[in-house]
Amino acid sequence: MCGIAGVMYRGSDKDFGTGEALIRMLDGCQHRGPDSTGFALYSPEASGRLKLRFFIDPESESDDEVAIDAIRQRLIELGAAIEEEARAGDNYRVTIRYDGDIQKLSYEMEHAAKVISIGTSLEIVKDVGTAHDVDDRYHVNEFHGTHGLGHVRLATESDVKPEASHPFWATGFADIAIVHNGQITNYWKMRRRLEQQDFEFSTDNDSELIAVYLADKLAQGVKLQDALSTSIDDLDGTFSFLVSTGDEIGYAKDRLAAKPMIMYEDDELVAIASEEVSLNRLFPGRALNTREPAPGTYATWSRST
Amino acid sequence: MVALDLATLSVRDANAQLRTLGEAGEDVEILNPDARHHIGVGLTAPINVTVQGSAGYFCAGLTDQAQFNVSHNVGWGVGDNMYSGSVVVGGNAGAIPGVAIRGAEIVIKGNMGSRAGQVMKAGTLCCAGNANFMAGYMMYGGTIIILGDSGERVGEDMSSGEIFVAGKVEDLGSDAMLTDLDQKEIEGIHAFLDRYGIKAPKGFSKIINAGKKLRYGTPETPMRSIPFNAFSGDSVYWNPKIQEDIAIKAQSGRYRIRGYGGARPLPHLSDIGFRKDLAGAGTDRDVIEKIHMATEIGGINGARPLKLSMPVMIAPMSYGALSRSTKYAIAMGSAMSGIAENTGEGGMSDAQRDAAGQLIFQCLGGRLGWNIHDMRRADALEIYISQGAKPGLGGQLMAKKVTAELAEIRGIPPGIDLRSPSRHPDILGADDLVIKVEEFREATGYELPVSVKLGAGRIRDDIKIASKDGFDFVELDGMQGSTGAGSAEVIDNVGIPTLPAIIEAIEALEEIGARDKIQLVLMGGLRDGVDAVKGLCLGADAVAFGTSVIIAGGCISCMQCHVGQCVTGIATQDPEHEKRYQPKVEASNIHRFLESVRWQIAAITQALGYDDVRGLNRDDLVALTPEAADITGLPYEPLVGDASVQQVGSHL
Repeated sequence: MCGIAGVMYRGSDKDFGTGEALIRMLDGCQHRGPDSTGFALYSPEASGRLKLRFFIDPESESDDEVAIDAIRQRLIELGAAIEEEARAGDNYRVTIRYDGDIQKLSYEMEHAAKVISIGTSLEIVKDVGTAHDVDDRYHVNEFHGTHGLGHVRLATESDVKPEASHPFWATGFADIAIVHNGQITNYWKMRRRLEQQDFEFSTDNDSELIAVYLADKLAQGVKLQDALSTSIDDLDGTFSFLVSTGDEIGYAKDRLAAKPMIMYEDDELVAIASEEVSLNRLFPGRALNTREPAPGTYATWSRST
Repeated sequence: MVALDLATLSVRDANAQLRTLGEAGEDVEILNPDARHHIGVGLTAPINVTVQGSAGYFCAGLTDQAQFNVSHNVGWGVGDNMYSGSVVVGGNAGAIPGVAIRGAEIVIKGNMGSRAGQVMKAGTLCCAGNANFMAGYMMYGGTIIILGDSGERVGEDMSSGEIFVAGKVEDLGSDAMLTDLDQKEIEGIHAFLDRYGIKAPKGFSKIINAGKKLRYGTPETPMRSIPFNAFSGDSVYWNPKIQEDIAIKAQSGRYRIRGYGGARPLPHLSDIGFRKDLAGAGTDRDVIEKIHMATEIGGINGARPLKLSMPVMIAPMSYGALSRSTKYAIAMGSAMSGIAENTGEGGMSDAQRDAAGQLIFQCLGGRLGWNIHDMRRADALEIYISQGAKPGLGGQLMAKKVTAELAEIRGIPPGIDLRSPSRHPDILGADDLVIKVEEFREATGYELPVSVKLGAGRIRDDIKIASKDGFDFVELDGMQGSTGAGSAEVIDNVGIPTLPAIIEAIEALEEIGARDKIQLVLMGGLRDGVDAVKGLCLGADAVAFGTSVIIAGGCISCMQCHVGQCVTGIATQDPEHEKRYQPKVEASNIHRFLESVRWQIAAITQALGYDDVRGLNRDDLVALTPEAADITGLPYEPLVGDASVQQVGSHL
């Protein structure tokens, strides 16, 4: 049960204040989810280096440095060359050069540590607390990029902890993230089906399924919009979700329209949120010509078009 | 004209000023609304309010008489429950515009979202653009005019009222049909559109209820009465209860409807006992003066709490299932004992309000009887999500119980078979529920406690949500709770018993460190002060009685509540039956029963070694059965002392 937000800037520049925009949008709908807040932020990295983020559990008895060392060592064993590393809040952030299979790297790292995201442009920041709490800890407002997603969560069935927060990275697939409001009722059935194809899940949260489902389709060469189209038939339950890849953003909405979604589009950006109050945070004092996506529909926007 | 700028004022402050300006008859302009929720909620004065921009959820909700004009868009539930007055929306409206309106005019110049006019009772909702799916869903009356296309399943399960569509009727909903319009109706629509400066289209299709579904043809036949305590799960396999059940189904050919609670044995409070020997309990004649029992419920977030003379209240029961006289008697009895009464579904009668010292006003999905004026004269507000006897289900009040007075309170046509929906139109998740709770608080100036009634189901999750959504207290109802009418299959087989319900609720709150952030009122088959003390020991802040209060007030437990011809005048709306009921006499009986409860609570509390009911705790209890030990985690000690004394004390 949640609030979602997404924004994509259209210009050729990659230096938009996506972090600040998403903080504002999420602050606008924080009432929908006081437990945790998260951001999927995209900033293209031309060099092809991979950005990885890991949770370092502050409650853990062992020293942070021991945990980080283990991550370093595992990365090197898997053939990655570490270029930059930093601590941010409870995260360990590392940039690597890596030429191998990303899915293999992801699963191996997943077994060794708590991976938050892997991508050439994607970085996920999520933690318990409000948008401003998370910003205070991770400096999201300093983040510039092209597009991003955000999420505020009111935990209903799974725990309140950073790894159960959104956005969900499509475990094993670089640069794909989703935010979801609703409940997928055929979760276990779909998950078992994907697990039989050797996909791995890192949480029991139904929203992670959407990310892996879409990533699987994309890996098969299906276009994002076609994957969204089949998701409306394949996923059962209530959902309004947003998905982003390295250069696309899209939404899908269930046929019962049980979860709200509203969007605004102009020459400079496209913004989508659970409530118009979030869109208005980007344009204070302006009455916006918004549009409510129809039930059972999907759409995508691309940076390159 | 006064301007209120939401760039600097909070909606809460703006609404407070709006109410004051309304009293003074001053028109208001709202600047920089930026799609914020609850603008204008609770305004009951005939002023003009202009919103310069877009408004969020529940704009003009729970209002009466005011004229709203919103220049741009509105979110979900514009004009929610509006009594009279109008809202004109210049742009689009989100889902459920005109939900539960009782007489206002709502005009949307753009398109409108799904389920427009859900459970509306009267008034007119007009959309100049297209509607989305299920316009007129479960509407009880009033008019919807759609100048564009109807959307899918228009008129789904409407009971009454009419829908006019100028564009394409895409698809008729369940139990809806097309019919002809007469010239007078067309003229009426044209006159309405004229008033709002909308150009009238050429022709209309008219959609009404087809009347083919869910009609309560033959009422249930009264059957021979099997005592309530003859459990169907008893040792005799083909016992009288099973035989009765089969005989009834042999006549009806379907599931069985009946009143009362579950009729099979389940783990209950009688399966736990007190650790101490209570042989001495009840010997002190002045025990009531010595034990502190006064309890405040609902003040935890700053609202004005209910002040109970003991940790007891009346469980929600509706005027509808019960007669007006019965609700009147319960109100009087509760006031005499200094505890709170609850309206249940279906609204508040003047007699009940005047007689009850403190009254909780309950809001259900059909919004039957729900309105701003009665909210204001309530002492607490309660959102019903479900009940222990039939969790997750709605209800149906048979036509013969829908009398003229009852229909007027509920805002529906008299004599219809009245369906109560199982879900709220505007609560589809915990996120929507937050916004709904806030609307109620706005409408009543943050003065009244707001509670949630939960039938025990997924308690661990539900109770956490209740806490996060900011409720002041929860009324938690176990499977042993009763109902005026429900399917016997559900009553006996669906739900979580009261004992595990309270255990899980307390554990869940402790898991998230929220035990002191919300209060718990336990109900569901609690019979007396002994059960009350056990509930308090397990962690409840108070308990509520339904069935035992009815029995104290004259019910003979014949289990024929659903037939509507209750011989005692309790579960009936038939004046011939109701006149047998003597409210003043029964009020005294109820009062005396409640005083016996008070005495039991005091005596046991004292025997357990406390001078305050707040001292009662888990360590005072033991489990008398292995099942109860497993459920509660209490030590299994069936042989400590005399089990009967341990359970109730020899003098009680």
